[in-house]
Parts: sequence; structure tokens; C-alpha cells
Amino acid sequence: MLKRLFAAGAVAALSLSACAPEAAEVSSAADAGEVNLFTARHYASDAAVYAAFTEETGIRVNVLEAPADQLIERMRAEGARSQADVVITVDAGRLWRADQAGLFQPAPELGDTLDAVPANLRHPDGHWFGFASRVRVVVFARDRVDASEITDFLDVADERWRGRLCVRSSNNVYNQSLLAGLIDAVGPEQAESWAAGIAANIARTPQGGDTDQIRAVAAGECDIAIVNHYYLARLQRTGDPADRAVAEAVDIAFPSLAGRGAPFNISGAGLAANAPNRDNALAFLAFLLTDQGQRQFAELTNEFPVVAGVAYDNDVLAGYPQITPDPVNVNRLGENATAAQRIFDRVGWP
Amino acid sequence: MAVIARLRQAYPVWPALIAAIACAAPLAAVAALAVSGEWSGYLAHLWSTRLPVYLINTLQVTLISGSLAVVLGSGLAWLVARYEFAGRSVFEWLLALPLAVPAYAAAYGWFDLTQAAGPLGMLPTVRGATGAGLVLGLTLYPYVYLLAREAFAGQSSDAYEAARTLGARPREAFLRAAMPMARPAIAAGLALVVMETLADFGAVAHLGAPTLTVGLIRAWAGEGATADAARLALILVAIAFLIFALERAQRARARQTSASGRRRPSRRIVLAPLRGLAAAALCLSPVLLGMVIPLGRLGYRALNAPVTRDLASAAQNAVLLAVIAGVLAAVLGLAAAYALRSGTRRGAVAARVAGLGYAVPGAVAAMGVLAILGLLQTWIDAAWTGLFGAVFPVMLTGGIAALIFAYLSRFAAAAIGPADSALSRVTPALDGAARTLGAGARETARRVHWPLIMQGALLAALLVFVEVLKELPATMILRPFNFDTLAVIAHNYASDERLGEAALPALLIAAVALPPMIWIARRIVRQEDGRENAVHAEAGR
Repeated sequence: MLKRLFAAGAVAALSLSACAPEAAEVSSAADAGEVNLFTARHYASDAAVYAAFTEETGIRVNVLEAPADQLIERMRAEGARSQADVVITVDAGRLWRADQAGLFQPAPELGDTLDAVPANLRHPDGHWFGFASRVRVVVFARDRVDASEITDFLDVADERWRGRLCVRSSNNVYNQSLLAGLIDAVGPEQAESWAAGIAANIARTPQGGDTDQIRAVAAGECDIAIVNHYYLARLQRTGDPADRAVAEAVDIAFPSLAGRGAPFNISGAGLAANAPNRDNALAFLAFLLTDQGQRQFAELTNEFPVVAGVAYDNDVLAGYPQITPDPVNVNRLGENATAAQRIFDRVGWP
Repeated sequence: MAVIARLRQAYPVWPALIAAIACAAPLAAVAALAVSGEWSGYLAHLWSTRLPVYLINTLQVTLISGSLAVVLGSGLAWLVARYEFAGRSVFEWLLALPLAVPAYAAAYGWFDLTQAAGPLGMLPTVRGATGAGLVLGLTLYPYVYLLAREAFAGQSSDAYEAARTLGARPREAFLRAAMPMARPAIAAGLALVVMETLADFGAVAHLGAPTLTVGLIRAWAGEGATADAARLALILVAIAFLIFALERAQRARARQTSASGRRRPSRRIVLAPLRGLAAAALCLSPVLLGMVIPLGRLGYRALNAPVTRDLASAAQNAVLLAVIAGVLAAVLGLAAAYALRSGTRRGAVAARVAGLGYAVPGAVAAMGVLAILGLLQTWIDAAWTGLFGAVFPVMLTGGIAALIFAYLSRFAAAAIGPADSALSRVTPALDGAARTLGAGARETARRVHWPLIMQGALLAALLVFVEVLKELPATMILRPFNFDTLAVIAHNYASDERLGEAALPALLIAAVALPPMIWIARRIVRQEDGRENAVHAEAGR
């Protein structure tokens, strides 16, 4: 019995291992082919964007989803054999690292298309670009805090907030990029004392994700929390009454980062260095910046479009005040990531 | 006893050697990464900042989860093996179920329930090293339970009854007569619990208990320091090695089962109704705490959450991988067990090395597998181009074979433990009797060993099956395009903080694991009834 299973298993394993995408049956001439995405985004709604792309171009989308660092390792190991056409990650720091590892190539064909993306949200040499953006914000308890108390992230390190702040672990890349931006704004020494202030202010050992920090504010465990904007937007748009109640107990502030503007970060994409389906990859990258693509990110994941003037249907985003973004090029966030990480280690932000 | 040594060595060591090479390859790759990279001073920086905290957390989480698993696992195993009460036959397999719950899923569920805003906010929040240790203990105790149950059920009751006759109270008789005989099995189960705890990332990260594994992922993600992550992984491997050594020492001290290999299956003691009710409640509580309550919470969140992914094909993929890996792992486990039994140093080393991969966090093991596959690909490509002037048609990464390789290298330990503890019951005297009657080594294995060790092999296959259903990092990074498993989907939703959507795939993992668990439990029960006759017949009594 075991023997039979074993034999069957071995045969199955061997036959299946030959089923990599390139082993697909030879495509007919009318076939628009395929594009292979390596994506670190974990949003189920992205499938809708892919479907819209296939609808428009006939190009099939193959997806491999994994954490960014692992995708980078896999592309390194596969080298020239890599099947990846497009690499997508959230957080500019990751894009910077992938670029350092030589995993992107410039896409001159996209030239004019990329001009639609603000200059600070793309790689200086066009190796990658942001297609949606998010901002790190402060969520506060409506009944205990006034928005005027938090106009800048520097305020949050103030002694006034001792034991009143919730924020997730410094392992989290969003916090890393926030500090990386601050290092750029005020230099490493002042950034370190800011981080020490935050570590002193936290009401509880960091635990859970951004949504849990918002819940903690609503429950009175803390008065303010540092989170990404779309986590609150999601609670505001949910059908779950309990989550609605949480969203109603809090409000959102868009503090500036050392006076320079709100700390924006991106979901970004780039053309893989060894893309086997280069043309389809370019078509996909261009699609991300079309009105249709841009609109979907705003509606499905509550991220901001990067292309100005795109119409979308999202009451929550539409209700935000005018936000001035920090003009720093997000590529700097990657350059400062290691320094930020070590500052966290030294000040003991768990 | 030269004869015994010769009898034991009648079985070849080479299958175990092959297994060891396959399992040790990723580990070797990690070690190579560790020594090859630049010495950036990161470890020194870490030592002066976080490393002490990582170590303290690691110890605390491991101690709590290990001791909880031993107490729950062996206590409950004794209860269902020796006593008869209402619902016992159901609890027999139900108690193994929490193993099918990914630890991170239980952690998400419990944290969500007990945080200040949660419905159980009045309880202390499940968090930190204590919370993580409890959650891990509650989801991993079935390792100890399954192995201990098998040991108790197969134990001759002579020793326990002798102890009772000599005036020992039941508890004392249990601790002094029954426990020592089950010690190898319990130690093997504990080793698995501890190694899995060491390698856990999801639960400890969510609950805010930064262990070595968290530090390692941080080094890798935050610093891009692959080499430093590998160096931290080697610390974990060293700890695992230490645990192995302790387990072996335990085993050497343990008195093995009665020399004749003969068992009088002990008759279960029927409990009075009230006590039976108490026993049932005891059995129910870990199942509630480890599975029903946390998954129920996730399920409740799922009520308001539409699942948009294709769960049917994800379940199919998960089962396919788990079955293949489970069967192959059982074969490997038996090979390693025979190698251990051979008593040769080479065999023992091979089996030990094969089991080491378990303590390596999945993400690092996956890195090692990737590195090896990349290297192989380069060699094959070069040779192929040289010979045929064409590009080698197959990619090694992103195929099912790569996944199976990764699973085996990581979970061999989970298969070796049960196989080894089952084979330890096959005494040399049995071999001797069979050989005296003219059976060859192969026939002895087939007619004497197999009936005795089949349970162990099934158990090994089951454990690996469940492990693979839950496995995440290697699956994530080595899988083909458009290939999801239940664990991958659950994790993607959870890491997007959509607990509700994560619930259904997590529940499905448990549901998929249930039928094989029931089937194997039934087989084991059936076998116990038939075993005595088999043993007697085969040993020519």
C-alpha cells in the first residue's frame, strides 16, 4: 500500500515539476501570451486589477505572491533563468533593495508614461515607479485628544504622550521607512532622540498590526496610534458594525514629518532584469498607470492614486483634507533603512 | 553482545545516509551563507542591543510551550489509554486535532479575543512571551500526546500493576512505572515541540515576543543581511543539537519494554460516571483552547467577510503536497530509524543530521533550498549546453519537486521521532527468535518488524502531512505561479489584517487534517487488538 502510494507520488512529483509556466502548451498565433508577476502585495483585491488587464489586452497574468525579501532571494537564486517579468512590492525600501541586488532594468519604452508619476515617487533612473501611495498618519481618540495637538510627527515623541501612544513593532517596514524619512529630514542624531522618545511613550509592548493599534485607541488602551491611513479607511468602509464603532471613536490627523510634509510611501513596480515577456511586462506596467488601474487601487485598497486628477469613487479618501506630501524621493527611504533599523535597536523600540 | 550487534547491523545504513544528505543540504547551504558573507559588525551591534532580549524570550517561550505540551500530552495520553469513560473513543483522535491549527492562526484568534477591545477583554491579554508560549503549547501538545499515547497503549501493564500491588498509589505508579517506559516517546515528542517553537515566527511576532527567529527575520528583512540571518539560524541549530543530545541521553537511561516483546494489552479501568465526566471535561479543554475558541473567533469575524480566493484548488494543492511529502517522509523516517538501530556511529550521525533541519526557521530553510537549487541549475545548465548546445528545459525552482525537497529536508525530524520510538520496541531478542527460525533479514523486517512499526510509520506520515498543510515560508517562495495552498491564503489575509477572511482557510486546514487523523487512529486501535496475536505468531510462540 505504501509502496504503491510512493510510486504514484514519485511519478506525480516528477510530472508536476515539469509544469512550470514555460512548459505550457505552445501558444497559438492569436494568443497574446502571458506576463509573470512577482508580487509582495497581499491584497486579494489585486486579482480584480489583473482581471481588468487581461480583459483589456488578452494577456494572461501569472502571479507569485511572497514576502519581498523572499522574492528577492528567489530572483537572485534563479539569476538569468528567472521567469519574473514584473516585480511589485509595497514600501520603497524594498524596491531600493531589489534594485541594489540588480533585479530591475530600466524601461525606456515607458518614458512619457512615467512622467505622470510625481518625480519623488519613482526611481531617479526609472528602474521602478510608484503606482499607488499611502501615508503614515496618527489616529487619535476623538474624546481625549484634539487634532491641534498633533501637527507634526516630532510632537508624538513629546513627553506629553508618555504612556499614551500605541504603535506596532519596529520590525515593521512602515515604521522603518518613517524613521528613514526622518533621518533624511533632521539627521541621524535627532532622529535617534525622536525614536527614543517614541519608545518611552508607548503604552504597551508593541503587538498586533496597525488595525490592532486603532482598536486599542478605541478601547482606551492608548490615546494616539501611528498607522497607515488605509487601515482606518478600511474600518470606516466595513460592513462589520463592531468595526464601524471603532472607526467612529477615533479620528485621523495627517502630521507632517519635521515640517516637510506628510510621510508618503508607495506600492511600486519595476521591469525585472531578465524578463522573458518584456513587451507584455511593459504593457502591464503601463496599465497600472491608466485611469482604470489607478481607480481600482483607490477603490479596492484605499490607496491614493499617483496620477493626478484620476476620478474614483471612495467617500473616505475624498473626505480627507488637502495633504501636502514630503517632497523627499522615496528612494532615500531605502538608503536610510539600515541606519533606521540600528537606531531602533539602540533605543530599544521593541 | 556481539550477536545482537550483528543482528542490528543486518539492515543497511545507506538509505539513511541518502536521507541525511538530502536533509542536510539546505542546512549546509545556510552554514555556507553564514561563513561566506561579509562580517559587517552586525552581530556585535546586535549583541550590545537586542540579542540578550531575543535569547531570554526564546528560552521563556520554549520553556512554557515545552512544559505545557508534556503535561497536557502525556497526562491526556495516559487518561485515554488506561481509562474508559464516556466519549473516550472520540477524544482519542480529537485530542490530536489542535496540531492542525497553525500556531499563528491560534495567536491571531486569541489576541483578537483578549485584547482590551475584544469580547474577553476582562481576561489578561494573550501576548508576550507567556502568551506565545501558551498558544504554541496548546497547538503543539499533540506531538507529545500522539507519541505518548502510542507508547502507553503498547505498554505492557505488568510494571504498573506490579507497582500497584506493591502499594503504590495510582499517581505514584504512573510516575514511577508507566512514565519511565514511555520516556523515549515523550522525549521525542517534546523535541519536536521545542524545535517547532524555536522555528515559529508568525505567533511570536504577532504577540510581541521577539525570539531569535524574529531577530533573524529582522536581520534579513531590515538589513538585507542574509549572512547575518544565517548566522543567527546556526545558533538555533546549535540549540536543536543540544536538545537532540539530551533526548538521546534520556533514551539511554530509559528501560526499554519487556525483553520478550510480549504485551498483555492492559484492560482499561472503567471510571465512575462523575469521574468519567471530569475526564471528558479534561479532554475537552485543550481542544477548546487550542482549536475551537481561537478558530471560532476567526470564524465569527469571517461572517462579515467574503472570501474571494479559490479555496477549492488551494485545498487540492495542499493535500497533494502533503500526501506526497507524508509518504516520502515516512520512508525516510524508517530508513533513519534503522540506521539508528544499527548502532553504527555512521548510522546514528546520519539520522541525527537528517533530523536537524527541523529547528531551522522555515524562511531560512527555504533560503538554503533556493541556494542549492540555484547552484544545481547553474551546473546542469552548463553541462547541458556543453553536451547538446541547447538550454536545459526544466527550471528547478518553482516546481512541485522543489517544494517536496524543501519539506523533506525540514520535516524529516517529525518522521524520524515516531519511527524511531516504534522501532525501539522491536527488541534484538525478537530478531534473534525470527532468525533462529530461519527467516532472513528481509523476511524478519517484513513479518516481525513491520506489524510492530506500522503504527510508527503511519504516525510519521500523518505528522508530516499535517505539518506540510500548515507550512508557510518554503511554500511561499518555492511554489509555481498561480499556485496557492490553504496556509498561503490564510497567511496572506492575516498579514493584510483581514482576520475574518483568514478564518475559513485556517478552518479548512483543520478540516482536511481530520479524516487522515481519524483513519490512522482507527487503524492503530484495530492494530492493538490484533497485535498480540501477530507478535506471538511471528515470534513462534
